[in-house]
Amino acid sequence: METIKLNETPVRTARNFRINNIKLENIEIPNSLSNFKNVTISYDKNKIKVEEKANKVDLAYGLEHTLTEQVKTEANKNITLTIDSKEKAEAKINFKFNEQNKELVDNIEIIAKENTNATVVIEYESTSKVQNFHNGIISVSAKNSANLNLVIINLTNVETNNFLAIQDTIEANAKIIYTIVDFGGKNSITNLYSNLIGKCSENRINTIYLGSKDQLFDLNYIGELRGEKSNIQIEVQGALTDNARKHFKGTIDFKKGCKKAKGNENESCMLLSDTAKSLSLPMLLCSEEDVEGNHSSSAGKVGLKELFYIMSRGFTLKEAMKLMVRARFNEILENIENEEAKEKIINEMNKKLD
Amino acid sequence: MKKTELNEINRNIYDIKNKDEYDFKIKKGLTPEIIKEISIQKNDPDWMRDFRLKALEVYNKLELPSWGPDLSELNMDEIATYVRPKSKLNNSWDEVPEDIKNTFDKLGIPEAEKTSLAGVGAQYDSEVVYHSMKEDLIKQGVIYTDMETAVREYPDLVKEHFMKCVPVNDHKFVALHGAVWSGGSFVYVPKGVKVEIPLQSYFRLNSPESGQFEHTLIIVEENASLHFIEGCSAPKYNKVNLHAGCVELYVKDGAYLRYSTIENWSKNMLNLNTKKAIVGKNAQVDWVSGSFGSKISMLYPMSILNGVGAKTEFTGISFAGKGQNLDNGFKVVHNAPNTSSVVNAKSISKNGGKCTYRSLVRINEMAKNSKSSVSCESLMLDDFSVSDTIPVNDIRTDEVEFSHEAKIGKISDKTIFYLMSRGISEEDAKAMIVRGFAYPISKELPVEYAVEMNNLINLELEGAIG
Amino acid sequence: MSKELLEIRDLYVNAGEKQILQGINLKINKGEIHVIMGPNGSGKTTTANAILNNPEYKKEKGQILFEGENITNSKTDEIARKGIFMSFQLPEEIPGISVTNFLKYAKNKVTGKPVKIFEFKEELKKYMEELSMNSKNMERSLNVGFSGGEKKKNEILQMLVLNPKLAILDETDSGLDVDAIRTVSKGIEMFKNENNAILIITHNTKILHSLKVDYVHVLVNGKIVTTGSQELAKDIEENGYSKYKK
Repeated sequence: METIKLNETPVRTARNFRINNIKLENIEIPNSLSNFKNVTISYDKNKIKVEEKANKVDLAYGLEHTLTEQVKTEANKNITLTIDSKEKAEAKINFKFNEQNKELVDNIEIIAKENTNATVVIEYESTSKVQNFHNGIISVSAKNSANLNLVIINLTNVETNNFLAIQDTIEANAKIIYTIVDFGGKNSITNLYSNLIGKCSENRINTIYLGSKDQLFDLNYIGELRGEKSNIQIEVQGALTDNARKHFKGTIDFKKGCKKAKGNENESCMLLSDTAKSLSLPMLLCSEEDVEGNHSSSAGKVGLKELFYIMSRGFTLKEAMKLMVRARFNEILENIENEEAKEKIINEMNKKLD
Repeated sequence: MKKTELNEINRNIYDIKNKDEYDFKIKKGLTPEIIKEISIQKNDPDWMRDFRLKALEVYNKLELPSWGPDLSELNMDEIATYVRPKSKLNNSWDEVPEDIKNTFDKLGIPEAEKTSLAGVGAQYDSEVVYHSMKEDLIKQGVIYTDMETAVREYPDLVKEHFMKCVPVNDHKFVALHGAVWSGGSFVYVPKGVKVEIPLQSYFRLNSPESGQFEHTLIIVEENASLHFIEGCSAPKYNKVNLHAGCVELYVKDGAYLRYSTIENWSKNMLNLNTKKAIVGKNAQVDWVSGSFGSKISMLYPMSILNGVGAKTEFTGISFAGKGQNLDNGFKVVHNAPNTSSVVNAKSISKNGGKCTYRSLVRINEMAKNSKSSVSCESLMLDDFSVSDTIPVNDIRTDEVEFSHEAKIGKISDKTIFYLMSRGISEEDAKAMIVRGFAYPISKELPVEYAVEMNNLINLELEGAIG
Repeated sequence: MSKELLEIRDLYVNAGEKQILQGINLKINKGEIHVIMGPNGSGKTTTANAILNNPEYKKEKGQILFEGENITNSKTDEIARKGIFMSFQLPEEIPGISVTNFLKYAKNKVTGKPVKIFEFKEELKKYMEELSMNSKNMERSLNVGFSGGEKKKNEILQMLVLNPKLAILDETDSGLDVDAIRTVSKGIEMFKNENNAILIITHNTKILHSLKVDYVHVLVNGKIVTTGSQELAKDIEENGYSKYKK
């Protein structure tokens, strides 16, 4: 049991704004890990190579030193996916937590070779109510002109501590589209660092989160634009009910030399109870003249007019709320092609909002 | 708009250096003995001397901020915190010593007093040398005087409010201010009195390797209103000067206060200023702020909306040129239902300058049905300047409407082409666009100050773009 | 004095990597109205921008002369001061500068003389009435929040105030309803006299119903493929451009 301080923002602001990092108390970081067996990997065998090993990648940011070291030295699951096909390839990794598989420390490496095109789905889900621990690193390398669709779904239970650090490098003309569904965890702490080094490199991050009970989400997304005409779009949509809290820290950093780069960040939080809390810090850092950066952030209640309209069509208040949240999430959910995964997400959404 | 105005500006106005002549200059550094000496020199009552010594203790305990610009070049051992000019407080410009009066003449203060102000205060180094207000306001019970006089003559009012809005332990430089403060203005507007014409205090720091720590305390009673303007400037020296003023504004129920600032400190100044307003029921405080000078600026005026229906608006612009790091912004805390805040912040970075917009919007649990809308825009004029936007939005209840928007970019080539196709040169087109960009702020200022601001923009732009 | 205002000689222009104009020749004399028509992407807007020397368009070859003077590489503001005006297809929005102040400043630049406020205001008022413009717009920021029609009328107003020798109207009629087109044509009638000239760039023929033009040029793939009288516009209105495409 200990208190840890994690997910530091790249630039600090006043300490009493309480957003530079997140302090968590009584977090048990397990030190002797048993094997995590409940994992299924399905993939197109002639297009993707899967190996049960992964390089120890140095993280530019990461969540916190102890957690990063744990993945590097003690991971109980190492997976490397190498995508090597011009035709559309697919892979799905599913981690199922249960009584026997309570603790997962995973190190996943995804290499999208030049000119490839793939969708990778990674799911973390709990099948029991027992507390789980997840600490993972996903490192992604998108080579020249690669196209990667990366779907990450967190459906762990509300007792779980969920830690995830994602890091990518995007080369010239390559594109990554993230779809991140962050619903699970007592504490769900995510760090996403994107390094857009190539000319015309592109990253689209689409995240939905849904918090209920005492859930805490801390999202720290950092996009560094280095390549000329590089482009990052961050779209984060969420809803919070009960005492749930969310911290969103989004940084778009225009580094010198990223001429004609574009960065857009849009963050919006629906507050469904008067005890839910939304804290956000949408940062724009700029050391280059010829760029376009925008961010917008909003928070508030579901519009009464809209609610009334839906209820006038025979829906109860609860149903109307669900519909509004669903409507807000739909565009991002559309990115998920896997019907089975999508259905699971929608079920979970309905359950949480009941 | 007219070219003629462009040529009239003269940076020299701000750079007039008078001889470093003074009546008394405290030795450099910061010790209890030095504080006691300042207290003796200023003829403080006992409570104020004790207050200063306690503030020094707090100062010694607090650390430098772990964020924002690097302040390591500041060495308090090299700064004289109290410099008494060779002038007593006067209520006629004729009695102000020649060289000091000349400085204020060139800054246009006595002229503005005649044409557009209801009262003027002028501080030179650590003490106020001139203070005067129109007769009819005196009759209505308005008090406008220097802070030292207020401590002597209105001890109860001062004790009740002095450093209660901005407590000494707020941050290190507030504690420093508490220990060494000197000068500044005290304004009291009684219930229901509307002061239609602005009051202005002007702060001038002439002495090298020194600091200015003026304290401004304004109380606007119920249903009263006031427009207060502060201006500041200093000539440039090679070594660091420090400004750590403190502004405390009490805007009581139904009252209105507009606080405008044109800051043009010299580029060796560290401007670590603190400004805060406590706003009552259905009251409103509006901040208008133009930040052009200083080497480093850390300035985040704050509105605390404590009364139901309280409102605040912040309209600000920062313009950072070579060697400048302007870390400015705004803070607002919504503590009551039906409160609202509107923020419109702009910045311009050029010639290697750095602008940061840093802010906090906090809507607390009890602030039901509150609204906040924030808009930030940053203009980059070249590719070796820097512009950062660091806004924190802390929303703690659901019945709110909160929105924040920010944009960063350069002047569009298409817009320049459009203006040039109407016969306007590239330089003029750019200056025109920048002035247009700053217009939402300059239009909030009294006309002479809007002109001064445009002049400052033109001055900053001269030779820098094109 | 020569009647000739503008001459374009064998002009080749690139936009980005793409070659748009491939050898344009055109002569415009005082007192004439010319129309350049052509399908989308044929190079119409490029022609207008090239005359004003927009740096986004690169001239590869050729010359542009105005009153016999080579203006091929002159700066845009110099060209404007020599007496060429362009009405923009998409006028820029400029916050913080009122229409009145902008016009006063531009008039001062173009004429090189101080603007007499009273006369200027009277003149402005007259034109605005003719163009059925809302005088409240004059104190608003230039084009900010203006509707498409208001922006186009504002361009015509600028043309009248600046009174150039050659006015280039780039798709001034596009996106306008019948009433607005009538107002724009009225503005053009007011402007026109024997000492100036107009070059209208358009992809449809509506505006030509209420204007008498002297020459119609058809621009396809960066070349003028045919030149004729107002009849040619009528033919295109009925039959389209297909017979002019290769």
